[in-house]
Amino acid sequence: MDSFQRQRWADGRLVTRREALAQAVTERAVDLVMSAVDVDELLEQVDLNAVLDQVDINRLLDRIDLDRLLGRMDLNDIVQHIDVDALVKQTDLGAVIAASSSGAASDVLDVLRSQTVGLDEFIARWIGRLRRRPYAGPPGPPDQPPPGAGP
Amino acid sequence: MTARAGHAPPSGPPAVARESLQGKYAGFASRFTAFAVDVGVSLGVFMLALAAISFAARVLTGKDISWNKGDTWVITAYAVWAFAYFAYSWAASGRTAGMAVFGVRVVTDDGTGASARRAVVRTLALPLSLLFLGLGFVGILLGDRRRALHDVIAGTAVIYSWDARAARLRFLSRG
Repeated sequence: MDSFQRQRWADGRLVTRREALAQAVTERAVDLVMSAVDVDELLEQVDLNAVLDQVDINRLLDRIDLDRLLGRMDLNDIVQHIDVDALVKQTDLGAVIAASSSGAASDVLDVLRSQTVGLDEFIARWIGRLRRRPYAGPPGPPDQPPPGAGP
Repeated sequence: MTARAGHAPPSGPPAVARESLQGKYAGFASRFTAFAVDVGVSLGVFMLALAAISFAARVLTGKDISWNKGDTWVITAYAVWAFAYFAYSWAASGRTAGMAVFGVRVVTDDGTGASARRAVVRTLALPLSLLFLGLGFVGILLGDRRRALHDVIAGTAVIYSWDARAARLRFLSRG
């Protein structure tokens, strides 16, 4: 079946031969016009600033359903892709964190605790290896209390 | 995680700190070092108290008092002091001085703070874990909930109470 014959079945009905011919001619004419037009030159003549000035951004935003948009986004997946370490190192966020935390004593405690936790994990991995049970990180209760819960 | 088995633990904040450890059961090293600090603190304070009593007695009566560490009453006094130190700390805040340094705390099975009764039971049961070359501590290494014998008896557990992730971010922010 050639393109001409295919046009005869347009819209799921058998059109007349004349209609099909007119449609084919139109498509061919559009192709020729498009190939003759220099789109880049055309765009250069368009004043995009003037076009943008006519766009009512507020009206456009009003028409966007943000809840629906956010509902279709997997924010957890996006967060997983963020390199927090690099973010802290390369932005002012690091300075904010550093300024909000206390001084040298806190640093010493952080290092001390980190080293001890490292040792905890080191020992736990060895125990897991000896027991032939894979170690999947420090265990915790199924329902953990909120941080700071105490007497 | 922090270190693969068979390799030395790395320096600096461990990779495990990418997640907060709050609420996770504390490991052997954290608990043991905290306990060692507590023994040192309680012994140090006790020795200072004995020295203060000796000094006061010499000033007031002019007589020297010598302390023999083998004396029954000295041992008894230390046992009472150590009991008060541990029981009060666990009942008041869920942590002793050593545990505060290493960021761990005592909680009950349901995650709430230990009551005074549990704190007393835990303190009384602590010597049982020390018996038979510390056999009661094996549960910290092998148990799914990392509980020692005195934890099982008192219905308690020890968890990390410090925010490892915040510490890691602080470390990176200064890097």
